[in-house]
Amino acid sequence: MASNHPEPTDPSGRLVQSHRGYDPRVVAFYFLIAALLLVLVGGLGYRQLFRSDIYHARERMQNQRRVLLPGPRGNIYDREGRVLVTNRARYAVVLYLDELQGDFRKETIRIRKNYRATGDHDIPSLGQIEQIARVSVVQQYLDQVNAILGRDEKVDAGDLRRHFGRELLLPYTLIPDLSAENFARLTERLPVVSPLRIYASSARAYPYGSAASHVLGYVGIDEDVDVEDFPGEDLTTFKMKGFVGRDGLEKNFDAVLQGEPGGSIFRVDPAGYEVKPPLEERQPRQGRSLTTSLDIDLQQVAEQGLGDQTGAAVALDVATGEVLVMASKPDYDLNAFSPRLMPDTVADIERRGAWTNLAVGGLFAPGSTFKTIVSIAGMKRGISPETFKVDCEGSLKVGNRIFRCDNGLGHHGDIALREALGESCDVYFYAFGQETTPEAMAAQAREMHLERATGIELPNEKRGTIPDPAWKEKTKGEKWFPGDTANMSIGQGDVLVTPLQMACLAASLARNELSTQPTLLHDPNRPRQHTESIPLTPEQRAALVEGMEACTNTTYPDDTASLLTTIAAYRIPGVRIAGKTGTAQVHGKGDVAWFICFAPIEHPQIAMAVAVEGDNPNEGFGGAQHAAPIAAQVMKKYFEKKARAAAASAPAVTLAR
Amino acid sequence: MPPQRFDQARPFATLGAVIVVWLILPAAVKTFSRATFFEFTAPIATSASYVRDLQEYWSLRAHSNSDLVEAGRDLARVNASFAVSAQHNGELEAEVTRLEGLLHLPALPGYRLESARVAERDLGSSWWQRFVIRKGRNFGLTEGAPVIFTGGVVGRIKEVHAYTAVVELISSPGIRLAATVDGDSRPVSYEGGDNPTFGRPRGSVEFLPLDIFAQASQPRRLVTSGLGGVFPAGLLIGQLVKIEQSSDGLFNTGIVQLDPRLSDLTEVTVLEPAPAEAAPPP
Repeated sequence: MASNHPEPTDPSGRLVQSHRGYDPRVVAFYFLIAALLLVLVGGLGYRQLFRSDIYHARERMQNQRRVLLPGPRGNIYDREGRVLVTNRARYAVVLYLDELQGDFRKETIRIRKNYRATGDHDIPSLGQIEQIARVSVVQQYLDQVNAILGRDEKVDAGDLRRHFGRELLLPYTLIPDLSAENFARLTERLPVVSPLRIYASSARAYPYGSAASHVLGYVGIDEDVDVEDFPGEDLTTFKMKGFVGRDGLEKNFDAVLQGEPGGSIFRVDPAGYEVKPPLEERQPRQGRSLTTSLDIDLQQVAEQGLGDQTGAAVALDVATGEVLVMASKPDYDLNAFSPRLMPDTVADIERRGAWTNLAVGGLFAPGSTFKTIVSIAGMKRGISPETFKVDCEGSLKVGNRIFRCDNGLGHHGDIALREALGESCDVYFYAFGQETTPEAMAAQAREMHLERATGIELPNEKRGTIPDPAWKEKTKGEKWFPGDTANMSIGQGDVLVTPLQMACLAASLARNELSTQPTLLHDPNRPRQHTESIPLTPEQRAALVEGMEACTNTTYPDDTASLLTTIAAYRIPGVRIAGKTGTAQVHGKGDVAWFICFAPIEHPQIAMAVAVEGDNPNEGFGGAQHAAPIAAQVMKKYFEKKARAAAASAPAVTLAR
Repeated sequence: MPPQRFDQARPFATLGAVIVVWLILPAAVKTFSRATFFEFTAPIATSASYVRDLQEYWSLRAHSNSDLVEAGRDLARVNASFAVSAQHNGELEAEVTRLEGLLHLPALPGYRLESARVAERDLGSSWWQRFVIRKGRNFGLTEGAPVIFTGGVVGRIKEVHAYTAVVELISSPGIRLAATVDGDSRPVSYEGGDNPTFGRPRGSVEFLPLDIFAQASQPRRLVTSGLGGVFPAGLLIGQLVKIEQSSDGLFNTGIVQLDPRLSDLTEVTVLEPAPAEAAPPP
């Protein structure tokens, strides 16, 4: 096509592109492109302005992971500050899998090559080869540890697969719970820069082993660790296992002892491995500690006294109700629960019947210790301790049955309340009970809280059973007979109490008050307890206390617990003890030996109850021989400690020349 | 390309060629090259250290006779004190052996002591804290053997060559020991740290129980635990001067101040595990 424009004269002008002018056919394309660009820009703008939050949330969900760490639990101390429960370091060798991605890749390639080289047609899938490679690589690292420790551990392929599926952000544990020696060996011999590391966590430790095991309780694994006010609740969260109280104080005070968990939020790469440093981090904190009212010295004496028998012993501080001793046998070694309870241990505990804390969960007929209640009820009804006398000839006919006197020689003669308590004459109390009436005895027992749980800070506490005619009618649908009254008068029949209730009764008798609220928490400034006084005249109280004192000394030849003053090992010089023995017969089972007491009579400080079950029905079990010595040993230790503390706090005397 | 431009690019081409050659060399050749490098440079380092010793000798010769007499007296006193200590140690050792015999305890592992002169130091870097000693395989030294001096632990032997050995100091981040705080039996983990070039060397300690306390004004001695099987128990590592809670809340971490003499040691002792003695006939 010819042009009307003149040819440029300058030869260099050929190099300049000339504008050929406006072409209307191209305009449509301009509009089309502009429209498309507008769509693109609009789409971009829409996504940027309106959808960005959604994408950001998705990206966050995909790229971030949250790891929660439990806080260590608080310690438990005895009243003198000795550690009963603490945390011990639990070392484990772990493997940080995120540092092994290259090793896994290389091993996968190597295994595939090997399969191909052997010409095997049955080659596993890539996923299977990856799993084989992971096991192989992890085993190589485990072999390094084996070489140092002289072990022959193998990788559990199933466990490793589960770990990859669920807990990839957490280190993989090769050997849990290393001993201190193995920890030290690995510390010195493992390379400093290595995916193999020593990981420390905590496990509960019990310096006194099985001492007070039922009271302290135990912990179990808590897989639901949660952190308050820590961001990322919507993120995929990995939780390290913590502990939660399952029994005893560990359970009742779980909220106090439980540590404050910490956590961290990590960014992860497309394969799910951690990218450091964390985006957010919070340190866990240890839980608060608990000071119990227990005295571990006395506790150990009581447990040694109980030995391998079945029974319980409880000692209370009379003034405050603080529990100084709560022993229950059979028991278990709490260290066997840490870091986890094994099936063999569970089976052993079940076989021995050691799960139950007999001090609060064991219901026993109180036997003759109940005579204290009967005495109070009778005296309140006006029966005179001086003039109401019974001639014990060894038995008494009540209704159509002959009830025998099982204590002493069986012929106590003409005796009043003091002697009857001291010699624990059943015949006297058969008659005394008939005069008192079952309703009055039951009312007195209930007034002294023997039918209700004490409310101590322990789980699974049982309440006692106090029968009366209405109770029998309602519960058994049977009529009350005079024989029932006779049985009740000596703490037999349907009367059931726990050793803790009887210890509270002893403390209440010591203070001459109706009830005692026991507690397992120590407070050095705890005020003295005060409840309503037992409505007895001074003469009546004197008869009760003197009768109980007579039970423990040699005033009368047949006093049931006179060994407390006759045997040197049990004698506590200068301390007068008021006590009451008891031997409850249980049909088809061994007898239950009881002893309740408080001392010193003048200013009571400690009150105790001991119950020991016999093994065989015809064993000849008795409170004086089997329960009183345990109480005596505990009280002896108590007063020895008191004397030592008093001597230590006494001002030094300087002799002037 | 003009010839001048080619000439200018020649050094880069040469460097590139060398890098390519190094990359394609077999691993065995590279390992051999590295190993022989030490062997070739060892005589230089050793000679230099002998020259330094000679220099020191002549500088000492310049002291007056009275100085020498005084130094001789001091030395005699120190020797006498050491002789008494050695005798006391001998008695204690005999007592320990007797008690071990009574209790049927296995004897603690013995060590052969090999004193060695420091030939060369490489403390300039904050990462590498090590030096070369003038003994190697020729004296039966082995990798990993503990190295000590009068102030406690020096480090461990990292590499052993024919006539020299490289000692990694406890201030180096590449070293880790099982330690205990003096008076406590629970093992903790000590590690060297990133040390400033001219600052006082220090390390860190992990897994400290929460009931152990220390501060700069009341430092605690950190000693070897003896449980790891490398170092005997009770050798001083340093002073624990600062404690902080670790991120897991279960333990504390701490800062350990090391002996400042570590950076100018001239003589150390290598503890070579002695071969186990044959059991006596029944």
